[in-house]
Amino acid sequence: MSEVRTSGTGAQASVPLVELTNISKRYGDIAACDNVTLSMYPGQIHGILGENGAGKSTLMKVLIGLVKPDAGAISMNGVVQNITNPQSAARIGFGMVHQHFSLVEELTVWENVLLGEELKFDRARARVLVGEIGERFGLTVNPDARIRDLTAGLRQRVELIKCLRHDPRVVILDEPTSVLTPAESEQLFPTLREKVAIEGRCVALVSHKLAEVLHATDVITIMRQGRVIEHHETHQTDAPSLARAMVGREVSLRSQHAVLGASFVSQSAPSESTSTTDATDVLQIADACVSLGGVSKLKNLNLGVRAGEILGLAGVEGNGQRELGDVLSSLLTLDSGLISIDGTIVRTGKPGSMSRAGIAVIPEDRHDSGVVLTMSVAANLALQRMVDFSHNGVIDEVLLFESAQQLIDEFEIRCDGPNAPLHSLSGGNQQRVVLARELSAKPKVLVAAQPTRGLDVGAIEFMSDRLERAAASGIAILLISSDLDEILHLSHRISVISSGTIVGTIRRQEATMEQLGLLMGGLAL
Amino acid sequence: MVCLYALFIGIALIASAVLVWATGGDWRAVLPALINGSIAKPGRWGQTLTEAAPLLLVALGAIVATRMNLVNIGQEGQLLIGAASAAMIATRGSGIFILIFSILIGALGGAIWSSVAAVLKYWRKVPEVVSTLLMVFIATQLTGFLLTKKSLLLDRSADRPNKTQTSGQLAANTRLPYIHIFGNDISIAVPISVCIALIVVFLLNRTIWGFKLDMVGMNARVAQRFGVSERSAGIIALAIGGALAGLAGSFMFTSGTANYRYTPGFANNVGWEGLLVALVSRNQPLVAVVIALVFAGLRTGSSFLASTGIQREIVDVVRALLVLALLLPPAYVFLRGNLHRDKNKGGK
Repeated sequence: MSEVRTSGTGAQASVPLVELTNISKRYGDIAACDNVTLSMYPGQIHGILGENGAGKSTLMKVLIGLVKPDAGAISMNGVVQNITNPQSAARIGFGMVHQHFSLVEELTVWENVLLGEELKFDRARARVLVGEIGERFGLTVNPDARIRDLTAGLRQRVELIKCLRHDPRVVILDEPTSVLTPAESEQLFPTLREKVAIEGRCVALVSHKLAEVLHATDVITIMRQGRVIEHHETHQTDAPSLARAMVGREVSLRSQHAVLGASFVSQSAPSESTSTTDATDVLQIADACVSLGGVSKLKNLNLGVRAGEILGLAGVEGNGQRELGDVLSSLLTLDSGLISIDGTIVRTGKPGSMSRAGIAVIPEDRHDSGVVLTMSVAANLALQRMVDFSHNGVIDEVLLFESAQQLIDEFEIRCDGPNAPLHSLSGGNQQRVVLARELSAKPKVLVAAQPTRGLDVGAIEFMSDRLERAAASGIAILLISSDLDEILHLSHRISVISSGTIVGTIRRQEATMEQLGLLMGGLAL
Repeated sequence: MVCLYALFIGIALIASAVLVWATGGDWRAVLPALINGSIAKPGRWGQTLTEAAPLLLVALGAIVATRMNLVNIGQEGQLLIGAASAAMIATRGSGIFILIFSILIGALGGAIWSSVAAVLKYWRKVPEVVSTLLMVFIATQLTGFLLTKKSLLLDRSADRPNKTQTSGQLAANTRLPYIHIFGNDISIAVPISVCIALIVVFLLNRTIWGFKLDMVGMNARVAQRFGVSERSAGIIALAIGGALAGLAGSFMFTSGTANYRYTPGFANNVGWEGLLVALVSRNQPLVAVVIALVFAGLRTGSSFLASTGIQREIVDVVRALLVLALLLPPAYVFLRGNLHRDKNKGGK
């Protein structure tokens, strides 16, 4: 790792390619960017590290003309530039690969590369172009392949080719590895950095993952609450000090690993208590099959979760995790197979069946099936237990209010009291409402799907802590996550899902990144 | 909001006056006739109250459906079916029990009629907006057919005047009682309808049933997760809407809207105007009570206007202008609210 890290720094030039001077952008009372001054040098990969809401994205949007700063100047090669819209930013030489793919699934690679650019499609020229760029940057991809047939890694390549074809001086990558397997993300950077160095371009890598930034960059700028906090040469810093700078306080060591993505650092595994090893399965899924629209989503999936354990279900997104979550939320009916709780079979797809059987769910997308945004916090805390707060079908508002107040205090939910509408809460606090409600039903099984996605460090720590405490109290927890670090940090056992089936289950102590990466890539051990 | 109403109603009145003047009528008579007809003249406010009751019931049904994002706009047809089925029972007997029974049958008829839309929606995915609307036309034809057969609804008495196609007249002891107060006659359908409005408020806001309806309306997947079936909630909501419209029809028939007979064109747009009441009251049942009165006042007032010698067509236009004036302020506030929200979203 250290060789890769130092190799790029040799190309550092003394004249900055891009200079940002005193960039500020306010939204109401909140300063998204507060007097940010930053220089990026040709031939370097420049890491921009920060938590959610640190101002990274706003700063990058300023560069590509999506956001107009309140104050400050941007200069390229020493000349002050006036960026008014994305077109002018592209002319100056800024290109960005967004976190979420913007590809048309039904079209081929070359069609996507040309999309929105020219009125006349020249197929032959476009295919040559894709080939050329692919060759030059080590991003080979078949120009005639349809996007829907490509893996996330290959799609990312297409996005990169789309960006690079405009020959940008500065390439901005926004959380580029969030959808890739470890193997794919390790593959992404080496060729890229080589070309960057030779051709005098500059890459801005926006990330909140320590490992990625340490691994891939030459210099690192850390942002917090809209300000630049620290600036480091990558080879002169390490994960703990970056983590401190990013969070602005000491985070507990265990959470730090999980939260900040320091998977390249060795970490302490949760100890597997003896009681969980010989316990029987509370939740059992046997030969579950689901197909949607003719596409098989779950294929003979078998899984058992024991009382008091956290079973991590790792896997690249889109391999059946969402469907599994839906089945366990009574939202989807199994084509075949059985789901049972403590040996009792639960009917799938029947409204409320899973909830009644004792399965609580923190859904992947809380707005989809976790909360009712227009209802009050109190109502959202009681969605499945309204009967407990009623007499003969009439809701007892006082009882409901008091119980909500208790949960708000216990789970430290920041809101204007139980009657505040749920949409007035921040994402982290909405997630706490979901967690509080699901645990308040005293479930036997808790399914936590991507429970910390999009949350800030404090909220992630809280969630991790609560999940561990829930497991300690005897609840069987199925942690579905595409964040390996989260899985490694919390799980006692790890199962890997690929193409709708479990390709392997390993105990946490025996798990290695390489092994998991291979499994996630669909290679059974 | 009050200023907006005053402004739009003012504009509508001026436009009406201009229209009446241009067509050769006495424009100065417009406003006095409307006021005299709806409240001022003896016995008129009792009439207005009585006409408000069915409007309110129709609006309540629409409000219940809207709570779970269903759009039931077929009340005109549900009302016709309700009135016709009540008439078929009530004209075949007499007495208080027949009266009550026929009213209940009317409600049931409306409920069955709207449930067809629910069945189509949840088994065949037919949008309820389309099916409820189109079933209005089927209801019109079906009840028209009932009036062609003596064995069904047509007047069976030999001395049927002018051979018109109407039902037989309701016996005097099978009619809905009136309350006589300050020289006005108010049908007891009025207090009953207000009670139903209170019950609807209670059910929607204070009970688990209302909460489940809200859950389905606001997030159907959450509802499914926690054991509320969108299908059964939707069937019940649509059936309630139909039952209330059917009840409105029964009340109209038994309180003598068309001289205690079922006639072609019996509904007389009450089903449509009830929808407007729900719209203007922005789906709040208690506000609907007041708005139903305003719309009923427009009905009674404009019928008075017609008696001043202004042409029937012009009277209809005047009424439509005033209805429009009532609809515009909430629409304006709604649109401005959306605009405001979009702006806030864009800023984030």
